[in-house]
Amino acid sequence: MSGRAPSIEQLRALAAQQGVTPTDEDLERVAAFLAVLLPDLEGLERLVPPDTVPAGLFLPVEEP
Amino acid sequence: MSVATLARRLRVGELSPREAVQSYLDRIEALDPTLNAYITVRAEKALAEADALLAGAGQVRPPLWGVPIAVKDVIDVAGTPTTAASKILVGNVPSRDAAVVERLRAAGAVVLGKLNTHEFAYGALTTSAHFGPARNPWSLDRVCGGSSGGSGAAAAADLAAGTLGTDTAGSIRIPACFCGVTGLRPTTGRVSNRGVVPVAWSFDAVGPISRSAEDCALLLEAIAGHDPADPSTARVSVPRYAEALAPGLRGLRIGVVSELFERRVDARVARVVRDAVDELGALGAQVEPAELPLLSKLGTIQQAMQFVEATAAHLEWLRTRLPEYGDDVRARLLTGLFLPPTTYVLGQRARRLAYEEFRAVMERFDLLAAPTMPVLPPRIGEETVALNMETVPYRLTLIPFNSPWSCVGAPVASVPCGFLDGLPVGLALVGRRFAEATVLRAAHAFQMQTDWHERRPEPQ
Repeated sequence: MSGRAPSIEQLRALAAQQGVTPTDEDLERVAAFLAVLLPDLEGLERLVPPDTVPAGLFLPVEEP
Repeated sequence: MSVATLARRLRVGELSPREAVQSYLDRIEALDPTLNAYITVRAEKALAEADALLAGAGQVRPPLWGVPIAVKDVIDVAGTPTTAASKILVGNVPSRDAAVVERLRAAGAVVLGKLNTHEFAYGALTTSAHFGPARNPWSLDRVCGGSSGGSGAAAAADLAAGTLGTDTAGSIRIPACFCGVTGLRPTTGRVSNRGVVPVAWSFDAVGPISRSAEDCALLLEAIAGHDPADPSTARVSVPRYAEALAPGLRGLRIGVVSELFERRVDARVARVVRDAVDELGALGAQVEPAELPLLSKLGTIQQAMQFVEATAAHLEWLRTRLPEYGDDVRARLLTGLFLPPTTYVLGQRARRLAYEEFRAVMERFDLLAAPTMPVLPPRIGEETVALNMETVPYRLTLIPFNSPWSCVGAPVASVPCGFLDGLPVGLALVGRRFAEATVLRAAHAFQMQTDWHERRPEPQ
């Protein structure tokens, strides 16, 4: 995963592929979120050992 | 009046369900034009339901018989609009009660109305552009927190005996903290989400916001349990929470989450919460520092999943009704469109690490303690807060204190534990999964020795 946020043009194209048409102002707000989130996700990727299995949608059930 | 006291008085016939409902309707009429805690008041329906209870009353009256309860407006009540504080859902009238409402009614409660929320429960301010902000009863120019801000305000201002909220990443705990009341986010899977507007399925939890741990115990007991219609609910026995409050703190091991007292927290808030933890120690708990090495990553782990799930839940409306969302919620929902599928799986994999670490730590402790919120509530209209002489985005302050416990699916109570500048401060008590009884027991023991939870704002 790249820690760099896509450009507004790239975001607009990705949104259009999914049938969504945000304004430039919307996409600027999104870019602000991504600017914080993507580097954090990149860091997370480095943290998770390759043999880690997903948790599943719901966590295990254990009686206390 | 507390749920516990009111239920007792109703049971012995000191007052009737109609009188109880009418007294809250009178308070709502007097105070809610200022507080804006309610989106819909079910005045006539609630009075009719109260009368029907009396007419049908048998010898044995269920535990919440006649007690007026209000629910966040993301929880369906048959025949009453569910708006989620959004323009998009105006005119949406469900034909069936949510599972938690069915259970409240089975316990004898009367539903007073639907409470204000951050739009689609996806934010922590409760300042809907469409329904207006809920105002903090302790200071009307401040937010109640959110997303269950109306529930916090209604509980604090005594506009219902008890309330239900929902919590994905702090939405019960934050308003409970900011409004000076007691809130409990149950274990994910403890309470059915059927009939509740989703934010993110992996983290959503319905729970009580009320005046005390005892009230939360009574409300949780009514709503908890497996629901065949909600596959996320667990087949785990439901204790009699109210009966399990008594043993006190002796013998409990409490881990103090050191990092949350040292970094990114208002030093004054940290001091107030430390004093509360000292009180827990004085009451017999064994208090020691606790370290969770992955703690600072848990917010990111939750966001990796939550952004994508929330966007998936809203995708059709994002395509067809995008301009009708408020600016902040629209931006959050759009963000999920741009995260690759691998992000979601990464979140799931990292969540396993986080859960295993939490489980290992909880072999040493019965509870963890931390501040519920690191800051005081921001002023309405402001999205930044003061934090140790700095101005920081409000949204970023709350994530490290709330997302970790949602990420590992643990039960958490927020308990009032002091005031700063006339505004409440909250202590978070985190338990093992499905150990709400221990969380409530500790909160109750604290409340038996302190009176923070009994303080009420003066009507302004």
